[in-house]
Amino acid sequence: MQTQKRKVQKPLGDRIFDICNLIFWIIFLIIIIYPLWLIIIASVSDPDAVISGEVLLWPKDFSMMGYEAVFQHQELLRSYANSIFYTLAGTALSVVVTLMAAYSLTRKFAGKAFVNMYFVFTMFFTGGLIPQFLMNRSLGLYNTVLLMIIINCVSVWNLMVARTYISTNIPDDLYEAAMIDGADHITYFVKVVLPLSGMIVAVLCVYYGVSRWNDYFTALVYIRDRTKLPLQTVLREILATLTTSTSSDSFFSAYADNIQGMTEAIRKAEVAKYCCIVVSTGPAVILYVFMQKYFVKGVMIGSLKG
Amino acid sequence: MQTKTAPAVKRGTWTQRFRRAFKNDWQIYLLLLPAMIMVFIFCYLPLYGIQIAFKDYKAVLGITGSPWVGLKNFTDFFGAYYFKRLLSNTFLLNLYNLLWGFPIPILLAILLNQFERERFKKFTQTIIYVPHFISTVVMAGMLYLFLSPTNGMVNHLITSLGGESIYFMVEPGWFRTLFIATDIWQHAGWNTILYIATLTGIDPGLYEAATIDGASKLQKILHIEIPHLLPIAVMMLILNCGSLLASNTDKALLMQTSGNMATSDIIGVYVYQMGLGKAQFSYTTAIGLSINVINFVTIMAVNWISRKLSSTSLF
Repeated sequence: MQTQKRKVQKPLGDRIFDICNLIFWIIFLIIIIYPLWLIIIASVSDPDAVISGEVLLWPKDFSMMGYEAVFQHQELLRSYANSIFYTLAGTALSVVVTLMAAYSLTRKFAGKAFVNMYFVFTMFFTGGLIPQFLMNRSLGLYNTVLLMIIINCVSVWNLMVARTYISTNIPDDLYEAAMIDGADHITYFVKVVLPLSGMIVAVLCVYYGVSRWNDYFTALVYIRDRTKLPLQTVLREILATLTTSTSSDSFFSAYADNIQGMTEAIRKAEVAKYCCIVVSTGPAVILYVFMQKYFVKGVMIGSLKG
Repeated sequence: MQTKTAPAVKRGTWTQRFRRAFKNDWQIYLLLLPAMIMVFIFCYLPLYGIQIAFKDYKAVLGITGSPWVGLKNFTDFFGAYYFKRLLSNTFLLNLYNLLWGFPIPILLAILLNQFERERFKKFTQTIIYVPHFISTVVMAGMLYLFLSPTNGMVNHLITSLGGESIYFMVEPGWFRTLFIATDIWQHAGWNTILYIATLTGIDPGLYEAATIDGASKLQKILHIEIPHLLPIAVMMLILNCGSLLASNTDKALLMQTSGNMATSDIIGVYVYQMGLGKAQFSYTTAIGLSINVINFVTIMAVNWISRKLSSTSLF
């Protein structure tokens, strides 16, 4: 009886600690969630209610006019498609190239120390923005789709994480067994290493995918054709400017053909910005929530050893 | 006869062995090749381009053809009236960001680890990682929307409480605060991953022993968890010290307005605007190179000091 009681009852200090901890986390979670919630409810509310600050907890005067404006916006939609293409192609290439190199670095071969130095050095010393720009331009990569896919293809940090993962999670016995059976490196890599690397592939996809999807700066520097712009660079023009009758409003009103349509468009633009955020960020967040159980553990393993 | 064949056989096996090794190794080099080419194009070729920092680059003459000017670009920068402002803006932004952004994930990880209910812990983790997936552009966009002096929620709240509207994005005094606060909001949760992984690796026996000895939760944090986190925290600190003058160009560029230049004008943004906007290639390359060298020296120095003091180091 007594032992049971002692087990159930925690010391007073611990209970106070637990309560404070819980209160802290509730506040912290509200700080994280509320801005996101605010964006969602503002995106489906009437512009006037949003501008006057009446939308605080729940949508007011439900309206989809912002989304209508967004989905009528040709340039935005095209940049969205561009971004999907750049992200898929770039991430696929990055993951394959990184994994191949990561596997090689787990094996013994002549010149390994040099290759290691070759990669690690770039983590600590780079040419900088301008030399990179000049070199890429002289290679003829300026304003090309190819550049958007291959630039910064290999992140050395990710390469090291993948290398550590492979060397600690795939037993060497497998390698020896495969070699006895007459396998070469490529066969072993494709038939044994790849099928066992599901978790690190997921992690690499997330790292590379997120950084590509969210990158606006590369296109700002390298892309001049507006038809090749990715989503984030276009979003920047809509969102990240001071709003005193600025470009973002004209951005949406450009599609209006008369004065009345113009004022309406400017009204719409205020809500359309929230819709842009939802449309651009929503898929990434939803994908994360559903995929997280596949990669968060992998991120943990990778971060620990890397 | 025997003495003749013996070396022959030996050489034969040696060549055979060499051939076999090469037969295996060429595939390793093949697998390495794409990554090495990519790194060469995007990291090593620009190193060749660095020479224009010591030249007066003219597009028609090209990188090799432009005339040498020695250290002129460097002395120009160090002597410029805005040099001090750029340097201190960059340094202070990174320093404050480190002072706030570095300890918070450690604290969050420790507090999260105190939950006994696994489900609440999982739920919390899922939520706090979400902002990491929001792009910098959207983050800056949210600031402009929420903090707008006329339409923004925050200023509506301030005026309804009887205060005056604050022009957050135009006042230099707000730039660093907003920059760092949004960085923490976005990434502090995600950055706990490393520490949570370390904490879950702690031997449960230690906790049991501590409980039997009557240790409170606070004592367990102080005597079990913090000592376990220390080595990895020191390593992260070293890595971060290497970027005290690095530039968060993309975010600062988004948050810069003509009003907050006094604090938002940092080296990375300046290099972008002068280099690409005004085509001052040589001058801005020299700026970038000086900063790179300083960062490189800093990380080596911190690493050296750390190795002397605590035997934790990167290499």
